[in-house]
Amino acid sequence: MPGKYSLLKESWIMILMYTLALIMVFVLTIHLLLVSPLTGKTFDQVLTYSYVLDNLTYYRIVFGLLLYAAVIHGLNGLRIVLIEWLHIRKFQWIINIIIVILMAILLAFGTYTLIVL
Amino acid sequence: MGEDKKEKRYKTGLLRSLWPYNFNAERYSYTLHRITGVILALYLIAHVFEIYHFALGPVAWEQTIALLGSLGIWEKIGLWIIAGSALYHGANGLRLILNEVFGMLLGKPVLPEYPYTPTSLSRNQKIAIYVILAIVIALWIWAGLYLLEGLGII
Repeated sequence: MPGKYSLLKESWIMILMYTLALIMVFVLTIHLLLVSPLTGKTFDQVLTYSYVLDNLTYYRIVFGLLLYAAVIHGLNGLRIVLIEWLHIRKFQWIINIIIVILMAILLAFGTYTLIVL
Repeated sequence: MGEDKKEKRYKTGLLRSLWPYNFNAERYSYTLHRITGVILALYLIAHVFEIYHFALGPVAWEQTIALLGSLGIWEKIGLWIIAGSALYHGANGLRLILNEVFGMLLGKPVLPEYPYTPTSLSRNQKIAIYVILAIVIALWIWAGLYLLEGLGII
């Protein structure tokens, strides 16, 4: 059973972390390749509106996967680091709640960006 | 070392945990994985809001890019640190998945005997750590040259 201050059993969260990490290896590689020298463009050229728009619309699913995987993996990682460093049990639920709220905000902004394009 | 002094060292918290006292290759890679993870998580928060400006239209996007561009070389240095963090965290993360999910690169479990050499730090594990470091440094230099090109330095 999950602990008093836990939202989920930590072992399941760790399996989720590994799974999201593996997903990110693929989708983040695509993201980095699209802004890498292999595109034949300079760094300033890959930031132009038209180039970013083309990528975001063509690879919408890839970026959607990346958004969800990165936000959940990244913020859960931050949660783990904070809990281990602060090491005070009563802070655990406060950290959990702050992280879940931050996750929801980031996913809302990110999803909105991908949907309206 | 007296007991009091030893006790004090264990209670010094975060900074002491990052201080490379008596670290082996695995502990260095663990510490670096943590530091790069925190850097990437903080960057992710900023990056989502940065990309949100893209949804507001070309003018908002150009303004955002101009604002970041006004940081000059610091923007490129920041991105270079982010690139290095992503490369290291990703490559080392793959090694950790091989270790922790598939049980690869680990030595055979043995009974603990003095001087308690960790069997997880096997020859293959050390090779994996150093190979990862070499690949990451090579790619990081490549990323740095690419970012400097944008400044017209090379």
